[in-house]
Amino acid sequence: MTAQEVVARIQKKLQEQGIAWRAQTVDTFKAGAPETAVKGIATTGMATFDLLRRAATAGKNFVITHEPTFYNHTDQTTGLENDPTYEAKQRFIRDHNLVIFRFHDHAHALRPDPLVAGSARMLGWTQYASPTEPRMYVLPPTTLRALATDVARRLNGRAIRVAGDPDMNVSRIALGPGYGVPALAPSFDVAVGGEAAESGGNAEYVVDAAAAGQKKGMILLGHMMSEDFGMKEVADWLRTFLPDVPIEWVPAGEPFSSPG
Amino acid sequence: MERADISRRDVILGTAMTVLSVGVVRGQRSTLTAQQVVDRIRANVGVPWGDTTTDGFKAGDPATVVTGVATTVMATLDVLRRAAAAEQNLVITQEPTFYSANDEPGNRAVDPVYLAKKAFIDQQRLVVWRFSDHWNARQPSEAATALAATLGWSGYRLPETEQIYQLPETTLGALIADVRSRLNVRGGLRVIGKPAMRVRNVFVSPGTTAVLSTLLNLRRADVILAGEPREWEVVPYTLDTWSADRGKAMIAVGRIVSEAPGIQACAAWIRSIVPELPVENIARADPYWSAGS
Repeated sequence: MTAQEVVARIQKKLQEQGIAWRAQTVDTFKAGAPETAVKGIATTGMATFDLLRRAATAGKNFVITHEPTFYNHTDQTTGLENDPTYEAKQRFIRDHNLVIFRFHDHAHALRPDPLVAGSARMLGWTQYASPTEPRMYVLPPTTLRALATDVARRLNGRAIRVAGDPDMNVSRIALGPGYGVPALAPSFDVAVGGEAAESGGNAEYVVDAAAAGQKKGMILLGHMMSEDFGMKEVADWLRTFLPDVPIEWVPAGEPFSSPG
Repeated sequence: MERADISRRDVILGTAMTVLSVGVVRGQRSTLTAQQVVDRIRANVGVPWGDTTTDGFKAGDPATVVTGVATTVMATLDVLRRAAAAEQNLVITQEPTFYSANDEPGNRAVDPVYLAKKAFIDQQRLVVWRFSDHWNARQPSEAATALAATLGWSGYRLPETEQIYQLPETTLGALIADVRSRLNVRGGLRVIGKPAMRVRNVFVSPGTTAVLSTLLNLRRADVILAGEPREWEVVPYTLDTWSADRGKAMIAVGRIVSEAPGIQACAAWIRSIVPELPVENIARADPYWSAGS
């Protein structure tokens, strides 16, 4: 089976699940020849250079990535041509006959969103999912500090950032994927997501809510700590209709440390 | 506990600045309105005023007579209270006030936190004006120059570059420790790179970090000192330099922390063009703590 045929199977499966392939989408081939015969598939949060090496070593020549390969949302390569890091990455892709396809827009269109469900599963929150409100989890009451400590331990995140009073009581958590950190509102206590602009949103809302006597919290996992795990769900989904291809989740991993 | 500590520190900072301003000699009570202060800023900023800009009045009446000016990275409710207490009724903010890029409250128009903030501004007759696009358009970058100055690097800029500073050679670990203490970062500091690596040239990039300019700067620089780098752009690029055997480092301190020195410099600049009025900066602490701590 070729990479192009794998993508056709994905599109057919989505169609069966009521999701039409979009005319405007970032979900396209980013590198390699679509007619390449697929030996194995690696799903991942981001096709970093290190991830590509690990996928190639594991015999997975088709990489299905949630986030970009070439450092911008639409994988534009204009201006990158003579950059030594970009050139080395492209050379590695060519030398190893890798094919890279992005699976972003249509992954988020699945219900439940696997990028949210995957993080919830890693966090041990699946059983707490609200039956009526998507992305809402109602946990046994705890403190923001205890919640953050548990989150960091379960995800093995090294640079998880928290805003809000550590001793505030929390129970209702809104979980968003990647850059989609839920906007804080009176109906819940804590917003959890990947990354967020530190202006024009939750960062100042947390501070203002505290000043107004209505405590709120925010936990920023980091983009990969928020979406890598969801691509494990995508690997499980792919296996249900691509039984003949070896499929493995290969996490991109935590990019940051938080020393000293 | 932690919040109480921050508030105390901020109060001490605020008090120190108020004491400093007492030395400023002023004549008769100024009758400048907020609009007149803004007109003077526009006339002196040295950047053509854009038709589509986020800079402008966000709350209050521009005809208000100004008793004092407070600059701040972000006009949080806490900052507004401190400004009001110090009779600084014109607040000039780098970042939005009402939780969205264009300061439209949208779904939050009935939100109790938004309403509390709006009510405070109305009761105190504060005026909030945003000054971001045009201050950031000044060349060389005021934010980068001020951030480097806060780190004690003013003499180190490579003359043929705008934002690369050549330090006496050190390790990444030592640089991180220095940045953490001088910028007073708490949980917001995140790093790519190895603590033992030798570093010398630092690309100082507060606020957002654009991809292509960063790539060019990394031909010279060993380290990016970033504010809020996007995690699908410059962050994976920096990671990839390690796989390409040209390992570069990144120290990200957060947008607010990275922009704080720049807006403090802005206060000094406004003071120079509006000498009739007291102008002070209101500092904000790193909003984050670390989940591991």
